[in-house]
Amino acid sequence: MPDYDGANGLRESFRVVGTPNLPGRLSFALATGVAKFGIDYVLPDMLYAKFLHSPYAHAKILHIDCTKALALPGVVDVLTWEDEDLKALNLAPARGAPRPLFDNIADKEGDEVGAIVVAENEDICEEALRLLEVEWEVKPHIVNLLEGRREDAPVIRPEENLQPSFGGRKYSEDTPPKRGNVYSAYMTSGDIDAGFGEADHIAEYSLYNPAFSSHIPNPSGTVSWWSRDPYQGEGANLHIEGAVRSRERIASLYNMPNEKVIQEGLFMGGKYCDWGLRKSQQITPLLAQRTGRPVRCVNTREEMYDMQMNERYVYMKVGFTNDGIITAVDDFSIADNGVRGSSTFGNVGDLVQGPYNTLSCKNVRQRMEIVDSNRGMMFVSGQHCPFNWDSLTMAIYLIAEKLDIDPTEIARKNLHGPTSKDDRNPVPSFDLCIEAGKKLMGQEWHKSGTKMLPDGRMHGMSFRYQMCPRHSGAIYRCKLEYRDGVVHMPTQGPLFGVYNAECNAMVVAEELGLNYEDVSIDFDYREPFTPMGGGSDGTTASAWAMKECANKLKKMILQAAINNAENPPPASRMGAAPSKAPPGPFKGLQPEDLDMAEGRVFIKAEPDKGVPIEQASEENLFATYIGRPPLSVWSTGSMGQILDVMNTAYCEVAVDTETGEVEILRFSAVADPGLVLRPISLESQIDQVMYFSQGCQMLEDYIYDKRSGVLLNNNMIEYKKPGILDVAPVERQFLETRASNAAYGASGISHSLANTHLVIIAIHNATGVWVDPPATPAKVLKALGKI
Amino acid sequence: MYTQESTQATAATLIQAMPSVLDAFPCPICGRVFSSHPLLLRHYASEHPSAIAPVTVTLTLNGRQCEALIEPHWTLQRTLQYRFGLTGTKHMCDKGACGSCTVIMDERAVLACTTLTIECEGKSIQTIEGIAADPKWKPLVDAYCRWDAMQCGYCTPGFLVSAKALLDKNPNPTEQECREALAGNICICGTYPRHATAILEAALQMAKGEQQ
Repeated sequence: MPDYDGANGLRESFRVVGTPNLPGRLSFALATGVAKFGIDYVLPDMLYAKFLHSPYAHAKILHIDCTKALALPGVVDVLTWEDEDLKALNLAPARGAPRPLFDNIADKEGDEVGAIVVAENEDICEEALRLLEVEWEVKPHIVNLLEGRREDAPVIRPEENLQPSFGGRKYSEDTPPKRGNVYSAYMTSGDIDAGFGEADHIAEYSLYNPAFSSHIPNPSGTVSWWSRDPYQGEGANLHIEGAVRSRERIASLYNMPNEKVIQEGLFMGGKYCDWGLRKSQQITPLLAQRTGRPVRCVNTREEMYDMQMNERYVYMKVGFTNDGIITAVDDFSIADNGVRGSSTFGNVGDLVQGPYNTLSCKNVRQRMEIVDSNRGMMFVSGQHCPFNWDSLTMAIYLIAEKLDIDPTEIARKNLHGPTSKDDRNPVPSFDLCIEAGKKLMGQEWHKSGTKMLPDGRMHGMSFRYQMCPRHSGAIYRCKLEYRDGVVHMPTQGPLFGVYNAECNAMVVAEELGLNYEDVSIDFDYREPFTPMGGGSDGTTASAWAMKECANKLKKMILQAAINNAENPPPASRMGAAPSKAPPGPFKGLQPEDLDMAEGRVFIKAEPDKGVPIEQASEENLFATYIGRPPLSVWSTGSMGQILDVMNTAYCEVAVDTETGEVEILRFSAVADPGLVLRPISLESQIDQVMYFSQGCQMLEDYIYDKRSGVLLNNNMIEYKKPGILDVAPVERQFLETRASNAAYGASGISHSLANTHLVIIAIHNATGVWVDPPATPAKVLKALGKI
Repeated sequence: MYTQESTQATAATLIQAMPSVLDAFPCPICGRVFSSHPLLLRHYASEHPSAIAPVTVTLTLNGRQCEALIEPHWTLQRTLQYRFGLTGTKHMCDKGACGSCTVIMDERAVLACTTLTIECEGKSIQTIEGIAADPKWKPLVDAYCRWDAMQCGYCTPGFLVSAKALLDKNPNPTEQECREALAGNICICGTYPRHATAILEAALQMAKGEQQ
C-alpha cells in the first residue's frame, strides 16, 4: 500500500532522497581506524576474564576444585555456577525452557560452562583454566540430525518437552507429541489428496540446506566497569562497551535504571539480525562489580562460530497440471533445534512464513521434525532468507524442466494476485521484475544439460522470486531539534553495518529543504530514537516516522520565523551583544504562506523574499513524533497472502565437467524496494546477500567429528568465507513502484534476495545432476559419476 | 561528527600519544611497578621464577621511535592495541586468514596477528593511523567513504592498509591488480566491489594532485 497516510508520502520530486555517493556519517571513523569497537577498549588497571569452555559436545559438570587456580599468582577471582552472585543474576532465556543464566550443563563443544576466571592478564586466565580440576559427566550427543531422529538414538534432553513455536501460530491437530529427540510441527491447508488427484504430474525431490556461520567480524566481547558521577545522580553507573545493541536488557539484568547504564561506543560490528547477548556481555559487569576494576572478556574466533542458519533436510512432493499449475504441495523437513535457547527462526519459523502463501494453490501440507542437537546456537537469524523459499524455487525449476517452460512463466502462472489467493490478477511489481530480469539476463531459458559454452564448459541458469519482507511493527520515538539555526537529529547508536541513520537524515533534509550535510546526526546512547526497528524494514519504517517529525518541525520553524519577524526577542544586556541578522519579511503572514527550500525560509508567493534557515529564529524548537507507518502487507496479509513489492534473482554458471569446477558467471537481481532512499546502501545489501548465498552453496559447511561431537573447522582457514577473488559479479536493477508502506512507498529489502539453492539449481541446469551444497569440485565430479 | 579533518587529527593525536621511552615497568602478574627493566627482571627472578619475564622492544611506528614492555609471545596486533593504543589494527581471525590486522612493515603488507612483536625490533611499521594522519592519503580515505567501501567497518582499516601498500608500489593499478592486492582481506559484509572502485578513484586523484 503506498504511503497515503504520511505527510508528503506521495511526493513527486526528490532533491536528496535517492542521491548517490553521500558518505556515511561514521565512515571516516571506520576507514581511518579511529572507530573503537567493544574489544578495542583497554582501560588502566583493567582485569581480564575467561570462561571455561566445554571440551565435550554434551556434558554435565559434577564438581570443580578451584584451589590450584585460585593459588596462581595474578588470579583475582574464580566463580563457578554455584556462586550466589551468579545465581542472583536472573534472566529468563529468550527462547526455550527456563534455565539459570550460567549453569553446569554444556550443550555443545566449546560451550561456556561452569566457571569463569578473572586475572591480571589473559595468559594467566588461560593458565588458571588449565588448573581447574573439573569432574565431568560426559553425556551422549547428537550432531547428526538424521541419526538424532532415529528411534534408537540416545535422548539428549529427556526432561524437556517445550514445543518450539513461532509467533504463537497453532499447529494442526494431527501434530504428534515429542518422540525421543524429535518435536513435530504440522500445518495443513486445503485438501492435499484432492490436490494430488487433480495433478497430471508429481515431482518429488530432496534438498539439503547446510548450516552456516553468522561470523560476526569482530569477536564478541565486552569491557565493563562501574563509576560514580554526581552529575548522573546517586548510585553507581554501569559502563558496558562491546556488541550490545540495547542497554535495556543489561539494565534489567542488574536491576538498574536504564539511564544509569552507559554505552558510549558507536561501533558494534556486523550483527545482521543476530541480536543475542552472549554470556560474556551479561556477566562481565558482575565481574567488574566484584573486583572493583574494569574487566574485559572477549571470545576468540574459535569460540564464536554461532549459526546464521541451521541445517535442514527437505523432502518435497509437488503435484502440477500439464499447464504448470501447482495443485498440491507436500513439504516434509527435518530441522535442527540446536542447543537449548536456539532460535526457532531456523525451524518452525519457516512454517508460518513459507513461500506457499504466495501461490494460488491452497492445498499445502507442511510437516516438520525438529531435532534436539548439540550442534550449535542460532541466536536469531542472519542476513539470510530464513523462509524455506528454496523449496518452492526448486519446485518451479522441476516443473519448468518437466514441461520445458521458462521457470519465470511457471512462477507467473502460480503466483496469486495482489489481494488474496483467489485473486487472479497479475502482481504489477512481479511482472515488472520479470520483464526487467529477462532484459538483464539477455538469453532464453534452456533445459538441463543442453547448452555448451564455446570453451567446452556447460552453461546453466536459475531463477527465483521473493516478496520484499517487512515484518517490523516497531514504534519509533523521534525527536528533531532546531538549535542555533541548525537541525539536529538525535539517535542512538551503535552502528551495526546499515546506513539507517543516514537514510533518516536524507528524509529530514528532503522535507525541510536542506542539504543532507546540513542535518546534524547527533549520536547519543541516551536518546530513545533508534532507526533499527527490529525487522527488515527498520530503515524505511523509521524514515517514515522521521518524515512525520520533520513536517512537525517545519511548521514550528515557519511559525517561529513569523514570530521572530513580528516580535523579535530583545537583545541581551549581558556581555557583548552578538550582532543579529535582520528577521525575515514575514510580518502578518501565516505559516502556510511560507515554505522551506535550498536552506531558506521564504514566502511562497514571492520566493525571492526570505532568509537563510539559520536566521529564521533564535528559538530552540523541538518536534517529537511517536508512531510507525501503517503495517505492511507482510504483517497484515499473513506473509504472502497479499502481495505488493517483489524481487527476482537469477544466476548463471559455467561447469567444467572434467574438473568439477563451477564458475558463477553472474548473479542478477531485479528488486522493487518501492523507492530507493540511499542507492549505494541497497546495492551493498544485495551484494552482501549474494555473497552469503555463494558462500553457503560453494564453500561453507560445519564439519563435526561424529564420534566426539567436536566442530572441526571453527576457524577462518578451514571454514572458508568468500574473498574478493571468489565472488561473482552481481548485476542489480531497481524498480520504484512506490507500492510499499514505509517512507514515500519504500520497503525494506533486507535478506529477501538471499538463497541457498540458486547456484545449485543452475549447476543442475548445466549438468543434469544434483549436487548438495557446498558444491565443491569433488562433489560435482561425484554427482557426475566421474569419481 | 567525524570528518576527514577530524579523523586525520585524531589519528595524529594517537600517534603523538605513543610512549617513546618507558619510565614505568609494571609486573604483568602482580601489578607492582618498577622504575627500570633490570629491577623488573630481578623481581621476576625472586617472585615469579617459573614465569617468562617481559622484554622491551623499540619499534619505528608511524615514523616515531617507541618503546614498549611486552611479553615475548605477544603478537604485533596485541602490542599495538595494549601498549600503543592503536586499535585500528583489528583482531578478527587470529590466524592470518582475514587481513583485518594488516600493517605495512618495511614497505610490505604483513599480518600483525601472526607476527611476533620481538621480530619487529628495528623495523619500520606503518599502521592505519599513520596512513590516516598523512594528508597525502586523504584521497584514498575520501574515496573509501564516498563509495561506501565499508558497512560495519570492522575489516575496513585492513583493506585500506592493503590498498595503500598497493599504491605505494603501483600508483596506477588496474581493477584486477586492486582485487589481487586485496585477496587476503575478508569482508563479511560483502563490500568487495566498492574497494577497487575507491582505489582507482583515489589513484586518479593522487595522480592529478601530483601533476598540479
